[in-house]
Amino acid sequence: MAINLRRLLLSKEGSIFLVLISLHVLAALFVDRYTSPSNIKLLLRAIPSLGILSIGVTVLMISGEFDLSIGSTFALAPMVSALCYDVGLNIWLCVIIALIIGAAVGLSNGLITVKTGMPSFIVTIGAMMFWRGIVLVVADGRMVPFELEGFARFVFNDMIGWVSTQFIWFAVFTAILWIFLSKMRFGNWIFATGGNLKAAQAMGINTDLVKVTCFIIAGIMAAYAGIFDSARVDIVNPLQGEGIALTAIAAMVIGGTRLGGGVGTVLGTFFGASIMFTIQDILMLMRVSAYLFQSFVGVVIILAAIGNQIAARGARKIW
Amino acid sequence: MAVRLRNLLLSKEGGIFLVLIMLQILAILFVDNYTNPDNIKLLLKATPSLGILALSATVLMISGEFDLSMGSTFALAPMISALCHGAGLNLWLCIMIALMIGASVGLANGLITVWTGMPSFIVTIATMMFWRGITLFIAGARWVKFKTEGIAQFLFTDTIGWLPLQFIWFAGITLILWFLLNRMRFGNWIFATGGNVKAAKAMGINTDFVKVTCFIIAGILAAVAGFFESLRVASVGPMQGGQILIFTAIAAMVIGGTKIGGGVGTVLGTFIGAIIMFSIQNILMLMRVQAFLFQLLVGVILVSAAAGNLLIRKKANSLE
Amino acid sequence: MVETNEVPFIELKNVSKNFGRIEAIKNLSLKIYKGESLGLLGDNGAGKSTLIKILSGLHQQDSGQILINGEEVKLNSYADSTRHGIETIYQDSAVVELMNVYRNIFLGREITKRFGFLDVKEMDKLSREVLDSIGIQGITSTRRLVETLSGGQKQSVAIARAVYFQSKVLLLDEPTSALSVKETRFVHDFIIRLKNEGISSVYVSHTIANVHDVVDRFVILRHGENVGEYNRDEISVNELSDIICEH
Repeated sequence: MAINLRRLLLSKEGSIFLVLISLHVLAALFVDRYTSPSNIKLLLRAIPSLGILSIGVTVLMISGEFDLSIGSTFALAPMVSALCYDVGLNIWLCVIIALIIGAAVGLSNGLITVKTGMPSFIVTIGAMMFWRGIVLVVADGRMVPFELEGFARFVFNDMIGWVSTQFIWFAVFTAILWIFLSKMRFGNWIFATGGNLKAAQAMGINTDLVKVTCFIIAGIMAAYAGIFDSARVDIVNPLQGEGIALTAIAAMVIGGTRLGGGVGTVLGTFFGASIMFTIQDILMLMRVSAYLFQSFVGVVIILAAIGNQIAARGARKIW
Repeated sequence: MAVRLRNLLLSKEGGIFLVLIMLQILAILFVDNYTNPDNIKLLLKATPSLGILALSATVLMISGEFDLSMGSTFALAPMISALCHGAGLNLWLCIMIALMIGASVGLANGLITVWTGMPSFIVTIATMMFWRGITLFIAGARWVKFKTEGIAQFLFTDTIGWLPLQFIWFAGITLILWFLLNRMRFGNWIFATGGNVKAAKAMGINTDFVKVTCFIIAGILAAVAGFFESLRVASVGPMQGGQILIFTAIAAMVIGGTKIGGGVGTVLGTFIGAIIMFSIQNILMLMRVQAFLFQLLVGVILVSAAAGNLLIRKKANSLE
Repeated sequence: MVETNEVPFIELKNVSKNFGRIEAIKNLSLKIYKGESLGLLGDNGAGKSTLIKILSGLHQQDSGQILINGEEVKLNSYADSTRHGIETIYQDSAVVELMNVYRNIFLGREITKRFGFLDVKEMDKLSREVLDSIGIQGITSTRRLVETLSGGQKQSVAIARAVYFQSKVLLLDEPTSALSVKETRFVHDFIIRLKNEGISSVYVSHTIANVHDVVDRFVILRHGENVGEYNRDEISVNELSDIICEH
């Protein structure tokens, strides 16, 4: 029993979890108002937006691809949704429309990437600019209200005791994706595609299909995350999500997902996203300039990636 | 003579040059105020900062790497320079400082990239965030004045007749880079490193050294571009060099014929590409089209041009 | 063509090379004489490629000496090797596909004019001459991109390097694995021609039949060690295969 616990804690996810806990403990001790009810509520309601986005991107990363346009989807999907809701369409229909948009953007990114053979980050940089432009056009540059009521409000933006419903969604999605990746055949194909594309193809796996599917998953998650975020503040900002792709990458990388593909864990990203947002929150409470958070994200990505390299080299030396 | 003309047009840069000419003709005919002297002045004065940024991306891209942090250098280098000048430091020293900052950022990017083996675009996304945060923190989100006098003012902001000196610098830098890439041994090594790093290494080329050097060149050019932009408007904005500018520069590079994978590229094409991109932006502005539509367009151009490059090469090879 | 009293052109004395815990080459000694072609045989992992890389200057041995014409040398880079007249030809020709023929031939050793400017005209001309002297067909212009050439033509580019820079020893690492039968014959004929001009070659392959026609002597590697040397006349392809597979 003790050995199992030790192995659990030393695993990738285990160590990140420890970091997260330590972070909370230190913050609770040294940062004013960290433990205030309103702050805790904020954490529980806001982390899921970053988190859901990040786990979607993690799945894509494991297959070896990036999607820098998720920030634009994060705005586009809820924007269209809000506009539909505004004209009276049923809320659930609006949500489905948002998810379809997320899937469509993911599909187009995926198809362009696999059909042209261009690096996904270039394709998705182009897509990012394109869809952001579309959002701005559609919204006519203004913010659009998105106030949910009744059952919808309960589902997307409420508290059950001390836990927010968003957080429950976050945990549920993480669990679903975890099962998908580790317990299902298709999940194995995702790891194979990212780990060794040629080998996967040689074994008959349709790597194009795998990649496009992952792009779609990332798109849908981004759309969902956008819905949560907008529901939380009752408004859709056409500029929301700018830069979130990079914070998501940082979250993913801290959590132990490799940038080269083939290695990754949504549980790690779950913790990683929590850590990233917690730090953002701490810096805000300490009145540290928001600009320094940006620098911090940059440092995190580099350090984590360097760490990945050292770990990989170390492993090779042992063998 | 006809054969030479045909060869010229079929050359790498010939196609994009034709596009440039056609664009200008269409603009002159159909866009109000395009030929207005003030507008032409704007075109000539503002294109160089975009153009030099695009050249920065081109040299590095040929070696097979990216520098997405050039936007942050575009702000950081002139920012520090302006603050030093404002504090009384000699202008030429401040210029040197700006160049050294560009070189240092480039050196850091290069070393991290070759040492960790991480894709350069991830490394430089991270360094971009890092340096942007630092820049904003230093400047406190306000604009810093940057004025020059005397020779410096002439060299960097004036015009000779209708030609701004910045444009002359732009053309001059393009020429120097052309010589470096196409007529110097090191240039061959840059193409080799980007084209087939294994083969380059097998032939004894120190590809790490080549890449780091290209990062440094890119960093210096980004600093120069930012410097020019700041002098043009006599101030440095900590947010300058934003996403849109960066990707417009990359789009300019791609439509000019430089391949995203590395090993193939042309600074002449980038020169033309930059003029085209800025003209398009200018035309949209004159037609009172909303700014975010340009953003949309850049995205489309970037992806289709990159894809197009791939297809054109496939076709050219089957014709050989 | 075998055991003589003359000084070998290249001699390796007790050379060892480790990669981490893997002993790629163990205490290996070998002599290569002027004008002989040597076949370096062994199964995968025997150390053949590592040996080639050490002689090309791309790796440095951990212990042991390399002697050229009886004098000890340090081969710390490809430039060092080529300076001693050692030229290497790889399976994939070590060419940059998107670059033209003459820039590939002179890759790393480009001819320059004053101030370091490339002498493009000269490289173009010399490339043409060298390719013609080799006798390869079909390379219509040295300004063509290498990716438009066939496998055999790409190998000619690599061979051209050796000829132009007047190599004294050619190291060939699986040079014909990617080539057609006809192109393979071309490369082999060339090795024989070079031999007659006094240029040695070390032919590495794990396909014995390939090598058997072209070389005078075989050296067999197993687990990084030199386990036997045989003249061509004294041994058959099957016997060689048996020895290689023994452990």
